[in-house]
Amino acid sequence: MINVNGLRKRFGAVTALDGMTFTVPAGQVTGFVGPNGAGKSTTMRVILGLDTADSGEALIGGRPYRELRNPLRHVGALLDASAVGPSRTARNHLLWLAHSQGLGARRVDEVLQEAGLTSVARRRVGGFSLGMRQRLGIAAALIGDPPALMLDEPFNGMDPEGIIWMRRFTRALADDGRAVLVSSHLMNELEDIADRVVVVGRGKVFADAGVAELLAAVSDGRVTVRTTAGGPAAAVLEAAVLAAGVGSVTPAGADALVVAGLSAEEIAGLLGRHGVPFSELTAHRATLEDAYLNLTRDAVEYRATVAGEGR
Amino acid sequence: MRNALRAEWTKACTSPGLPALLATMVVSMVALSAAVAAATDPLPGTDLPKLGLTGVLLGQAVVAVFGALVMGDEYATGLVTVTLTAVPRRSRVLAAKAVVVAGVLAAAATIAVAGSVLVARLLLPADVVAARPAVGSVLYLVLIGLLSLGIVTCVRSSAAGVGAVLALLYVLPIVTAAVADPAWQRHLRQIGPASAGLAVQATGADLDIGPWKGLGVLALWAAGALLAGAALLERRDA
Repeated sequence: MINVNGLRKRFGAVTALDGMTFTVPAGQVTGFVGPNGAGKSTTMRVILGLDTADSGEALIGGRPYRELRNPLRHVGALLDASAVGPSRTARNHLLWLAHSQGLGARRVDEVLQEAGLTSVARRRVGGFSLGMRQRLGIAAALIGDPPALMLDEPFNGMDPEGIIWMRRFTRALADDGRAVLVSSHLMNELEDIADRVVVVGRGKVFADAGVAELLAAVSDGRVTVRTTAGGPAAAVLEAAVLAAGVGSVTPAGADALVVAGLSAEEIAGLLGRHGVPFSELTAHRATLEDAYLNLTRDAVEYRATVAGEGR
Repeated sequence: MRNALRAEWTKACTSPGLPALLATMVVSMVALSAAVAAATDPLPGTDLPKLGLTGVLLGQAVVAVFGALVMGDEYATGLVTVTLTAVPRRSRVLAAKAVVVAGVLAAAATIAVAGSVLVARLLLPADVVAARPAVGSVLYLVLIGLLSLGIVTCVRSSAAGVGAVLALLYVLPIVTAAVADPAWQRHLRQIGPASAGLAVQATGADLDIGPWKGLGVLALWAAGALLAGAALLERRDA
Protein backbone atom coordinates (compact mmCIF):
# COMPACT_ATOMS: atom_id res chain seq x y z
CA MET A 1 0.00 0.00 0.00
CA ILE A 2 1.24 3.47 -0.91
CA ASN A 3 0.28 6.54 1.13
CA VAL A 4 0.82 10.03 -0.19
CA ASN A 5 0.12 12.74 2.33
CA GLY A 6 0.17 16.47 1.69
CA LEU A 7 3.09 16.60 -0.75
CA ARG A 8 4.20 20.06 -1.75
CA LYS A 9 7.01 20.92 -4.09
CA ARG A 10 8.05 23.99 -6.02
CA PHE A 11 10.48 24.21 -8.92
CA GLY A 12 11.46 27.86 -8.83
CA ALA A 13 8.29 29.84 -9.48
CA VAL A 14 6.30 26.78 -10.56
CA THR A 15 4.25 24.89 -7.98
CA ALA A 16 4.49 21.26 -9.07
CA LEU A 17 2.77 19.69 -6.07
CA ASP A 18 0.25 21.55 -4.00
CA GLY A 19 -0.87 19.25 -1.19
CA MET A 20 -1.10 15.99 -3.17
CA THR A 21 -2.85 13.40 -1.00
CA PHE A 22 -4.16 9.92 -1.85
CA THR A 23 -3.67 6.23 -1.12
CA VAL A 24 -3.13 3.26 -3.39
CA PRO A 25 -4.78 0.26 -1.71
CA ALA A 26 -3.77 -3.35 -2.26
CA GLY A 27 -5.67 -5.48 -4.74
CA GLN A 28 -6.87 -2.56 -6.83
CA VAL A 29 -5.81 -0.67 -9.90
CA THR A 30 -5.81 3.00 -9.01
CA GLY A 31 -5.89 5.26 -12.04
CA PHE A 32 -3.87 8.46 -11.72
CA VAL A 33 -5.31 10.86 -14.24
CA GLY A 34 -4.77 14.44 -15.18
CA PRO A 35 -3.45 16.63 -17.96
CA ASN A 36 0.25 16.77 -18.73
CA GLY A 37 1.99 18.88 -16.12
CA ALA A 38 -0.56 18.08 -13.39
CA GLY A 39 2.16 16.61 -11.17
CA LYS A 40 1.72 12.88 -11.80
CA SER A 41 5.33 12.10 -12.65
CA THR A 42 6.68 14.39 -9.95
CA THR A 43 4.49 12.61 -7.39
CA MET A 44 5.87 9.26 -8.50
CA ARG A 45 9.43 10.57 -8.37
CA VAL A 46 8.87 11.82 -4.83
CA ILE A 47 7.39 8.46 -3.80
CA LEU A 48 10.55 6.79 -5.17
CA GLY A 49 12.87 9.16 -3.34
CA LEU A 50 14.24 10.59 -6.59
CA ASP A 51 12.93 14.08 -5.84
CA THR A 52 12.53 15.51 -2.38
CA ALA A 53 9.26 17.19 -1.48
CA ASP A 54 9.33 20.55 0.29
CA SER A 55 6.79 19.15 2.75
CA GLY A 56 4.49 16.20 3.22
CA GLU A 57 5.37 12.52 3.10
CA ALA A 58 5.11 9.49 0.86
CA LEU A 59 5.18 6.06 2.47
CA ILE A 60 5.47 2.56 1.05
CA GLY A 61 4.00 0.07 3.51
CA GLY A 62 4.48 2.71 6.21
CA ARG A 63 8.09 3.60 5.45
CA PRO A 64 9.77 6.25 3.30
CA TYR A 65 11.34 4.82 0.15
CA ARG A 66 14.89 5.80 0.95
CA GLU A 67 14.76 3.78 4.16
CA LEU A 68 13.81 0.54 2.42
CA ARG A 69 16.35 -2.23 2.12
CA ASN A 70 16.18 -3.80 -1.33
CA PRO A 71 13.40 -1.35 -2.25
CA LEU A 72 12.48 -3.09 -5.50
CA ARG A 73 11.12 -5.92 -3.36
CA HIS A 74 8.64 -3.43 -1.86
CA VAL A 75 7.60 -1.41 -4.89
CA GLY A 76 8.37 -1.67 -8.58
CA ALA A 77 8.16 1.30 -10.89
CA LEU A 78 8.12 2.06 -14.58
CA LEU A 79 8.92 5.74 -14.95
CA ASP A 80 10.73 6.42 -18.20
CA ALA A 81 11.02 3.36 -20.41
CA SER A 82 13.80 4.89 -22.46
CA ALA A 83 16.04 5.31 -19.40
CA VAL A 84 18.22 2.28 -20.10
CA GLY A 85 21.75 1.85 -21.35
CA PRO A 86 21.22 1.25 -25.10
CA SER A 87 24.32 -0.90 -25.51
CA ARG A 88 23.34 -3.40 -22.85
CA THR A 89 21.12 -6.37 -23.70
CA ALA A 90 17.69 -6.66 -22.11
CA ARG A 91 18.88 -9.59 -20.02
CA ASN A 92 22.01 -7.82 -18.79
CA HIS A 93 20.00 -4.73 -17.87
CA LEU A 94 17.73 -6.88 -15.72
CA LEU A 95 20.71 -8.82 -14.40
CA TRP A 96 22.42 -5.88 -12.73
CA LEU A 97 19.04 -4.78 -11.40
CA ALA A 98 18.48 -8.25 -9.91
CA HIS A 99 21.97 -8.21 -8.38
CA SER A 100 21.25 -4.86 -6.76
CA GLN A 101 18.39 -6.51 -4.85
CA GLY A 102 20.31 -9.66 -3.92
CA LEU A 103 18.48 -11.67 -6.59
CA GLY A 104 19.90 -13.95 -9.23
CA ALA A 105 19.69 -14.78 -12.90
CA ARG A 106 16.74 -17.14 -12.38
CA ARG A 107 14.49 -14.23 -11.42
CA VAL A 108 15.66 -12.38 -14.54
CA ASP A 109 14.52 -15.23 -16.77
CA GLU A 110 11.17 -15.34 -14.97
CA VAL A 111 10.39 -11.66 -15.53
CA LEU A 112 11.60 -11.82 -19.14
CA GLN A 113 9.05 -14.58 -19.63
CA GLU A 114 6.28 -12.65 -17.86
CA ALA A 115 6.90 -9.59 -20.01
CA GLY A 116 7.08 -11.65 -23.19
CA LEU A 117 10.68 -10.70 -23.92
CA THR A 118 12.37 -14.10 -23.80
CA SER A 119 13.01 -14.20 -27.54
CA VAL A 120 14.76 -10.80 -27.56
CA ALA A 121 16.49 -11.16 -24.19
CA ARG A 122 19.96 -11.15 -25.71
CA ARG A 123 19.37 -8.25 -28.07
CA ARG A 124 20.66 -4.78 -27.30
CA VAL A 125 18.07 -2.43 -25.85
CA GLY A 126 19.15 0.33 -28.25
CA GLY A 127 17.34 -1.52 -31.05
CA PHE A 128 14.07 -1.88 -29.12
CA SER A 129 10.87 -0.11 -30.13
CA LEU A 130 9.21 2.04 -27.47
CA GLY A 131 6.64 -0.72 -26.97
CA MET A 132 9.39 -3.26 -26.30
CA ARG A 133 11.07 -0.84 -23.92
CA GLN A 134 7.77 -0.50 -22.05
CA ARG A 135 7.74 -4.28 -21.68
CA LEU A 136 11.34 -4.19 -20.46
CA GLY A 137 10.30 -1.50 -17.99
CA ILE A 138 7.52 -3.78 -16.75
CA ALA A 139 9.99 -6.64 -16.38
CA ALA A 140 12.27 -4.33 -14.39
CA ALA A 141 9.38 -3.22 -12.17
CA LEU A 142 8.54 -6.85 -11.42
CA ILE A 143 12.11 -7.96 -10.69
CA GLY A 144 11.65 -7.94 -6.90
CA ASP A 145 8.12 -9.41 -7.06
CA PRO A 146 6.87 -6.33 -5.17
CA PRO A 147 3.46 -5.94 -3.49
CA ALA A 148 3.09 -2.47 -5.01
CA LEU A 149 3.64 -1.14 -8.53
CA MET A 150 3.68 2.30 -10.11
CA LEU A 151 3.44 2.62 -13.88
CA ASP A 152 3.83 6.07 -15.42
CA GLU A 153 2.02 6.28 -18.78
CA PRO A 154 2.61 2.58 -19.55
CA PHE A 155 0.51 2.69 -22.74
CA ASN A 156 2.66 5.33 -24.41
CA GLY A 157 4.18 4.14 -27.66
CA MET A 158 2.52 0.72 -27.58
CA ASP A 159 0.80 -0.77 -30.58
CA PRO A 160 -2.85 -1.90 -30.15
CA GLU A 161 -1.80 -5.45 -29.35
CA GLY A 162 0.65 -4.12 -26.76
CA ILE A 163 -2.04 -1.95 -25.20
CA ILE A 164 -4.37 -4.92 -24.83
CA TRP A 165 -1.53 -6.92 -23.29
CA MET A 166 -0.65 -4.08 -20.91
CA ARG A 167 -4.27 -3.65 -19.81
CA ARG A 168 -4.73 -7.36 -19.10
CA PHE A 169 -1.38 -7.50 -17.36
CA THR A 170 -2.10 -4.49 -15.16
CA ARG A 171 -5.48 -5.93 -14.20
CA ALA A 172 -3.91 -9.31 -13.39
CA LEU A 173 -1.32 -7.67 -11.13
CA ALA A 174 -4.09 -6.13 -9.02
CA ASP A 175 -6.08 -9.36 -9.04
CA ASP A 176 -2.97 -10.97 -7.51
CA GLY A 177 -3.49 -8.62 -4.55
CA ARG A 178 -0.92 -5.97 -5.47
CA ALA A 179 -1.44 -2.24 -5.10
CA VAL A 180 -1.17 -0.81 -8.62
CA LEU A 181 -0.98 2.88 -9.54
CA VAL A 182 -1.29 3.60 -13.27
CA SER A 183 -0.96 7.15 -14.52
CA SER A 184 -2.39 8.39 -17.77
CA HIS A 185 -3.41 11.67 -19.32
CA LEU A 186 -6.14 9.83 -21.19
CA MET A 187 -9.05 8.64 -19.07
CA ASN A 188 -10.28 6.14 -21.65
CA GLU A 189 -7.02 4.17 -21.35
CA LEU A 190 -8.09 3.29 -17.84
CA GLU A 191 -11.61 2.20 -18.80
CA ASP A 192 -12.31 -1.34 -17.61
CA ILE A 193 -9.02 -1.73 -15.74
CA ALA A 194 -9.15 0.86 -12.96
CA ASP A 195 -11.13 0.24 -9.78
CA ARG A 196 -10.60 3.78 -8.59
CA VAL A 197 -9.37 6.97 -10.13
CA VAL A 198 -7.48 9.82 -8.58
CA VAL A 199 -8.02 12.85 -10.80
CA VAL A 200 -5.34 15.51 -10.43
CA GLY A 201 -4.69 18.94 -11.79
CA ARG A 202 -2.16 21.60 -10.86
CA GLY A 203 -0.48 19.50 -8.22
CA LYS A 204 -3.51 18.46 -6.24
CA VAL A 205 -6.27 15.90 -6.20
CA PHE A 206 -9.68 17.10 -7.20
CA ALA A 207 -11.47 13.78 -7.27
CA ASP A 208 -10.71 10.45 -5.68
CA ALA A 209 -13.50 7.96 -6.18
CA GLY A 210 -14.49 4.48 -7.24
CA VAL A 211 -15.07 4.06 -10.94
CA ALA A 212 -18.60 2.68 -10.47
CA GLU A 213 -19.52 5.70 -8.37
CA LEU A 214 -18.11 8.11 -10.96
CA LEU A 215 -19.92 6.44 -13.82
CA ALA A 216 -23.23 6.45 -11.93
CA ALA A 217 -22.87 10.18 -11.40
CA VAL A 218 -22.67 10.96 -15.09
CA SER A 219 -24.87 8.19 -16.41
CA ASP A 220 -28.02 9.77 -17.93
CA GLY A 221 -29.78 6.47 -18.71
CA ARG A 222 -30.58 7.29 -22.32
CA VAL A 223 -31.43 4.54 -24.79
CA THR A 224 -31.38 4.72 -28.59
CA VAL A 225 -34.15 2.77 -30.36
CA ARG A 226 -33.59 1.95 -34.03
CA THR A 227 -36.87 1.23 -35.77
CA THR A 228 -38.58 1.56 -39.17
CA ALA A 229 -41.89 2.26 -37.38
CA GLY A 230 -40.91 5.59 -35.89
CA GLY A 231 -44.44 6.94 -35.48
CA PRO A 232 -46.02 4.06 -33.54
CA ALA A 233 -42.90 3.57 -31.49
CA ALA A 234 -42.83 7.23 -30.48
CA ALA A 235 -46.51 7.08 -29.53
CA VAL A 236 -46.07 4.03 -27.31
CA LEU A 237 -42.93 5.35 -25.62
CA GLU A 238 -44.27 8.88 -25.09
CA ALA A 239 -47.29 7.43 -23.35
CA ALA A 240 -45.03 5.44 -21.04
CA VAL A 241 -42.82 8.44 -20.34
CA LEU A 242 -45.88 10.57 -19.54
CA ALA A 243 -47.14 7.86 -17.21
CA ALA A 244 -43.78 7.68 -15.46
CA GLY A 245 -43.65 11.45 -15.08
CA VAL A 246 -40.01 11.82 -16.11
CA GLY A 247 -38.10 11.35 -19.33
CA SER A 248 -38.42 12.28 -22.96
CA VAL A 249 -38.58 10.81 -26.47
CA THR A 250 -36.59 12.63 -29.15
CA PRO A 251 -36.28 11.66 -32.81
CA ALA A 252 -32.69 11.19 -33.89
CA GLY A 253 -32.45 10.89 -37.65
CA ALA A 254 -34.83 9.02 -39.93
CA ASP A 255 -35.02 5.70 -38.13
CA ALA A 256 -34.01 6.29 -34.53
CA LEU A 257 -35.41 7.66 -31.28
CA VAL A 258 -33.50 8.61 -28.17
CA VAL A 259 -35.43 7.78 -25.02
CA ALA A 260 -34.68 9.08 -21.54
CA GLY A 261 -36.36 7.88 -18.38
CA LEU A 262 -36.97 4.26 -19.42
CA SER A 263 -34.58 1.36 -19.18
CA ALA A 264 -33.70 -0.75 -22.24
CA GLU A 265 -35.61 -3.67 -20.69
CA GLU A 266 -38.75 -1.59 -20.22
CA ILE A 267 -38.57 -0.28 -23.79
CA ALA A 268 -38.12 -3.76 -25.24
CA GLY A 269 -41.12 -4.97 -23.19
CA LEU A 270 -43.36 -2.07 -24.24
CA LEU A 271 -42.56 -2.27 -27.95
CA GLY A 272 -42.95 -6.05 -27.93
CA ARG A 273 -46.34 -5.89 -26.18
CA HIS A 274 -47.60 -3.31 -28.71
CA GLY A 275 -46.21 -5.21 -31.67
CA VAL A 276 -43.93 -2.40 -32.81
CA PRO A 277 -40.91 -3.75 -34.69
CA PHE A 278 -37.41 -2.52 -33.84
CA SER A 279 -33.98 -3.60 -34.97
CA GLU A 280 -31.72 -2.32 -32.20
CA LEU A 281 -31.73 -0.98 -28.64
CA THR A 282 -28.58 0.73 -27.39
CA ALA A 283 -28.20 1.85 -23.79
CA HIS A 284 -25.86 4.85 -23.61
CA ARG A 285 -23.17 3.69 -21.27
CA ALA A 286 -21.34 6.53 -19.61
CA THR A 287 -17.61 6.32 -20.16
CA LEU A 288 -14.83 7.30 -17.81
CA GLU A 289 -14.08 10.03 -20.33
CA ASP A 290 -17.56 11.49 -19.67
CA ALA A 291 -16.95 11.27 -15.94
CA TYR A 292 -13.59 12.95 -16.32
CA LEU A 293 -15.00 15.77 -18.42
CA ASN A 294 -17.81 16.21 -15.91
CA LEU A 295 -15.28 16.43 -13.07
CA THR A 296 -12.93 18.79 -14.83
CA ARG A 297 -15.57 21.03 -16.39
CA ASP A 298 -15.40 23.49 -13.51
CA ALA A 299 -11.64 23.61 -13.59
CA VAL A 300 -11.60 24.11 -17.35
CA GLU A 301 -14.18 26.89 -17.18
CA TYR A 302 -12.13 28.56 -14.48
CA ARG A 303 -9.03 28.34 -16.62
CA ALA A 304 -10.83 29.69 -19.67
CA THR A 305 -12.15 32.63 -17.67
CA VAL A 306 -8.76 33.44 -16.24
CA ALA A 307 -7.15 33.21 -19.67
CA GLY A 308 -9.89 35.48 -21.11
CA GLU A 309 -9.43 38.08 -18.41
CA GLY A 310 -5.73 38.05 -18.97
CA ARG A 311 -6.09 39.38 -22.48
CA MET B 1 26.67 -2.47 0.15
CA ARG B 2 27.43 -5.94 -1.16
CA ASN B 3 24.41 -5.87 -3.46
CA ALA B 4 25.26 -2.39 -4.71
CA LEU B 5 28.81 -3.50 -5.42
CA ARG B 6 27.68 -6.60 -7.26
CA ALA B 7 25.24 -4.54 -9.34
CA GLU B 8 27.93 -2.03 -10.33
CA TRP B 9 30.32 -4.85 -11.16
CA THR B 10 27.71 -6.50 -13.40
CA LYS B 11 27.03 -3.13 -15.03
CA ALA B 12 30.72 -2.58 -15.78
CA CYS B 13 31.10 -6.11 -17.16
CA THR B 14 28.08 -5.76 -19.44
CA SER B 15 28.97 -2.35 -20.82
CA PRO B 16 30.68 -3.11 -24.12
CA GLY B 17 32.57 0.19 -24.33
CA LEU B 18 34.55 -0.20 -21.12
CA PRO B 19 36.72 -3.26 -21.91
CA ALA B 20 37.65 -1.65 -25.22
CA LEU B 21 38.64 1.52 -23.39
CA LEU B 22 40.87 -0.45 -21.02
CA ALA B 23 42.52 -2.23 -23.94
CA THR B 24 43.13 1.17 -25.53
CA MET B 25 44.77 2.35 -22.34
CA VAL B 26 47.13 -0.63 -22.15
CA VAL B 27 48.10 -0.50 -25.82
CA SER B 28 48.59 3.27 -25.99
CA MET B 29 50.64 3.36 -22.79
CA VAL B 30 52.98 0.55 -23.79
CA ALA B 31 53.30 1.95 -27.32
CA LEU B 32 54.20 5.46 -26.13
CA SER B 33 56.65 4.14 -23.54
CA ALA B 34 58.27 1.98 -26.23
CA ALA B 35 58.43 4.81 -28.75
CA VAL B 36 60.04 7.19 -26.27
CA ALA B 37 62.47 4.54 -25.04
CA ALA B 38 63.47 3.68 -28.60
CA ALA B 39 63.77 7.26 -29.82
CA THR B 40 65.82 8.80 -27.03
CA ASP B 41 69.51 8.49 -26.57
CA PRO B 42 69.54 9.26 -22.88
CA LEU B 43 72.28 11.44 -21.45
CA PRO B 44 73.95 10.23 -18.30
CA GLY B 45 71.93 11.27 -15.30
CA THR B 46 68.56 10.96 -17.09
CA ASP B 47 65.81 9.55 -14.89
CA LEU B 48 65.52 6.28 -16.79
CA PRO B 49 62.70 4.62 -14.80
CA LYS B 50 60.58 7.74 -15.33
CA LEU B 51 61.47 7.82 -19.00
CA GLY B 52 60.34 4.22 -19.36
CA LEU B 53 56.96 5.19 -17.87
CA THR B 54 56.27 8.07 -20.27
CA GLY B 55 53.17 6.21 -21.46
CA VAL B 56 51.43 7.20 -18.22
CA LEU B 57 51.11 10.73 -19.64
CA LEU B 58 48.85 9.34 -22.35
CA GLY B 59 47.25 6.60 -20.26
CA GLN B 60 45.98 9.14 -17.73
CA ALA B 61 43.71 10.68 -20.38
CA VAL B 62 42.13 7.32 -21.20
CA VAL B 63 41.77 6.59 -17.50
CA ALA B 64 40.03 9.93 -17.00
CA VAL B 65 37.56 9.04 -19.74
CA PHE B 66 36.95 5.64 -18.14
CA GLY B 67 36.25 7.11 -14.71
CA ALA B 68 33.95 9.67 -16.29
CA LEU B 69 31.90 7.25 -18.38
CA VAL B 70 31.12 4.98 -15.43
CA MET B 71 28.92 7.76 -14.04
CA GLY B 72 28.44 10.09 -17.01
CA ASP B 73 26.83 7.43 -19.21
CA GLU B 74 24.07 7.02 -16.62
CA TYR B 75 23.25 10.70 -16.81
CA ALA B 76 23.42 10.67 -20.61
CA THR B 77 20.90 7.81 -20.90
CA GLY B 78 18.76 8.57 -17.84
CA LEU B 79 19.73 5.20 -16.38
CA VAL B 80 20.74 7.01 -13.20
CA THR B 81 17.09 7.21 -12.11
CA VAL B 82 16.85 3.41 -12.30
CA THR B 83 20.13 3.06 -10.41
CA LEU B 84 19.05 5.42 -7.63
CA THR B 85 15.66 3.70 -7.42
CA ALA B 86 17.39 0.33 -7.00
CA VAL B 87 19.88 1.70 -4.45
CA PRO B 88 18.31 4.76 -2.80
CA ARG B 89 21.28 5.22 -0.45
CA ARG B 90 23.09 7.26 -3.01
CA SER B 91 26.50 7.44 -1.36
CA ARG B 92 26.52 3.67 -1.64
CA VAL B 93 26.08 3.89 -5.38
CA LEU B 94 29.08 6.19 -5.65
CA ALA B 95 31.14 4.08 -3.24
CA ALA B 96 30.35 0.93 -5.23
CA LYS B 97 31.31 2.66 -8.47
CA ALA B 98 34.55 3.90 -6.88
CA VAL B 99 35.47 0.38 -5.77
CA VAL B 100 34.76 -1.02 -9.25
CA VAL B 101 36.70 1.79 -10.96
CA ALA B 102 39.65 1.36 -8.58
CA GLY B 103 39.73 -2.41 -8.92
CA VAL B 104 39.39 -2.49 -12.69
CA LEU B 105 41.91 0.31 -13.21
CA ALA B 106 44.39 -1.25 -10.79
CA ALA B 107 44.31 -4.45 -12.83
CA ALA B 108 44.55 -2.73 -16.21
CA ALA B 109 47.19 -0.25 -15.06
CA THR B 110 49.31 -3.06 -13.63
CA ILE B 111 49.34 -4.73 -17.04
CA ALA B 112 50.09 -1.45 -18.80
CA VAL B 113 52.85 -0.45 -16.40
CA ALA B 114 54.40 -3.92 -16.47
CA GLY B 115 54.36 -3.80 -20.27
CA SER B 116 55.97 -0.36 -20.26
CA VAL B 117 58.68 -1.44 -17.84
CA LEU B 118 59.35 -4.51 -19.94
CA VAL B 119 59.79 -2.64 -23.23
CA ALA B 120 61.86 0.01 -21.47
CA ARG B 121 64.12 -2.69 -20.16
CA LEU B 122 64.57 -4.13 -23.63
CA LEU B 123 65.19 -0.77 -25.30
CA LEU B 124 67.01 1.32 -22.70
CA PRO B 125 70.35 0.73 -21.03
CA ALA B 126 70.10 -1.36 -17.88
CA ASP B 127 69.01 -0.12 -14.46
CA VAL B 128 65.48 0.93 -15.46
CA VAL B 129 63.50 -1.36 -13.19
CA ALA B 130 62.55 0.42 -10.01
CA ALA B 131 59.70 -0.67 -7.78
CA ARG B 132 58.44 2.68 -6.46
CA PRO B 133 57.95 4.42 -9.83
CA ALA B 134 56.14 1.36 -11.21
CA VAL B 135 53.85 0.75 -8.24
CA GLY B 136 53.36 4.49 -7.87
CA SER B 137 52.31 4.80 -11.52
CA VAL B 138 49.62 2.17 -11.05
CA LEU B 139 48.29 4.02 -8.00
CA TYR B 140 48.55 7.33 -9.88
CA LEU B 141 46.32 6.04 -12.68
CA VAL B 142 43.80 4.62 -10.20
CA LEU B 143 43.60 7.98 -8.42
CA ILE B 144 43.13 9.87 -11.69
CA GLY B 145 40.21 7.54 -12.48
CA LEU B 146 38.64 8.23 -9.07
CA LEU B 147 39.19 11.99 -9.46
CA SER B 148 37.37 11.83 -12.77
CA LEU B 149 34.50 9.78 -11.26
CA GLY B 150 34.11 12.33 -8.48
CA ILE B 151 34.14 15.33 -10.79
CA VAL B 152 31.62 13.81 -13.21
CA THR B 153 29.31 13.01 -10.29
CA CYS B 154 29.44 16.72 -9.42
CA VAL B 155 28.82 18.02 -12.95
CA ARG B 156 26.56 15.13 -14.19
CA SER B 157 28.05 15.09 -17.68
CA SER B 158 30.90 13.04 -19.12
CA ALA B 159 31.94 15.78 -21.52
CA ALA B 160 32.12 18.52 -18.91
CA GLY B 161 33.79 16.19 -16.41
CA VAL B 162 36.44 14.90 -18.81
CA GLY B 163 37.10 18.48 -19.91
CA ALA B 164 37.68 19.53 -16.30
CA VAL B 165 39.98 16.58 -15.58
CA LEU B 166 42.02 17.06 -18.76
CA ALA B 167 42.38 20.73 -17.93
CA LEU B 168 43.76 19.76 -14.50
CA LEU B 169 46.12 17.20 -16.05
CA TYR B 170 47.41 19.07 -19.10
CA VAL B 171 46.51 22.75 -18.88
CA LEU B 172 47.38 23.40 -15.25
CA PRO B 173 51.05 22.33 -15.78
CA ILE B 174 51.29 24.73 -18.76
CA VAL B 175 49.79 27.55 -16.73
CA THR B 176 52.18 26.67 -13.90
CA ALA B 177 55.15 26.86 -16.25
CA ALA B 178 54.06 30.31 -17.36
CA VAL B 179 54.03 31.70 -13.82
CA ALA B 180 56.95 34.10 -13.49
CA ASP B 181 57.59 33.87 -9.76
CA PRO B 182 59.66 30.70 -9.09
CA ALA B 183 58.35 30.27 -5.55
CA TRP B 184 54.76 30.37 -6.76
CA GLN B 185 55.60 28.05 -9.59
CA ARG B 186 56.99 25.57 -7.09
CA HIS B 187 53.88 25.84 -4.91
CA LEU B 188 51.64 25.22 -7.89
CA ARG B 189 53.67 22.14 -8.82
CA GLN B 190 53.27 20.92 -5.25
CA ILE B 191 49.49 21.20 -5.29
CA GLY B 192 48.65 20.38 -8.93
CA PRO B 193 47.21 16.85 -9.15
CA ALA B 194 49.37 15.81 -12.12
CA SER B 195 52.65 17.46 -11.17
CA ALA B 196 52.43 16.37 -7.53
CA GLY B 197 51.14 12.90 -8.35
CA LEU B 198 53.82 12.18 -10.94
CA ALA B 199 56.53 12.92 -8.37
CA VAL B 200 56.06 9.27 -7.45
CA GLN B 201 57.82 8.29 -10.68
CA ALA B 202 60.90 10.40 -10.05
CA THR B 203 64.13 8.80 -8.94
CA GLY B 204 66.36 11.86 -9.42
CA ALA B 205 67.14 14.47 -6.82
CA ASP B 206 65.83 18.04 -6.55
CA LEU B 207 62.11 17.31 -6.30
CA ASP B 208 59.40 19.85 -5.56
CA ILE B 209 57.63 17.35 -3.36
CA GLY B 210 58.48 13.90 -1.99
CA PRO B 211 57.26 10.99 -4.15
CA TRP B 212 54.72 9.55 -1.71
CA LYS B 213 53.75 12.95 -0.41
CA GLY B 214 53.06 13.97 -4.02
CA LEU B 215 50.85 10.93 -4.55
CA GLY B 216 49.16 11.86 -1.29
CA VAL B 217 48.27 15.27 -2.75
CA LEU B 218 46.60 13.56 -5.70
CA ALA B 219 44.79 11.24 -3.29
CA LEU B 220 43.42 14.32 -1.51
CA TRP B 221 42.18 15.67 -4.84
CA ALA B 222 40.43 12.38 -5.60
CA ALA B 223 38.95 12.08 -2.12
CA GLY B 224 37.77 15.69 -2.25
CA ALA B 225 36.08 15.18 -5.63
CA LEU B 226 34.39 11.96 -4.46
CA LEU B 227 33.15 13.55 -1.22
CA ALA B 228 31.80 16.58 -3.08
CA GLY B 229 30.16 14.21 -5.58
CA ALA B 230 28.59 12.16 -2.78
CA ALA B 231 27.27 15.26 -1.02
CA LEU B 232 25.71 16.64 -4.21
CA LEU B 233 24.31 13.23 -5.17
CA GLU B 234 22.60 12.94 -1.78
CA ARG B 235 21.21 16.45 -1.79
CA ARG B 236 20.09 17.06 -5.34
CA ASP B 237 16.97 15.76 -7.02
CA ALA B 238 18.01 12.91 -9.29
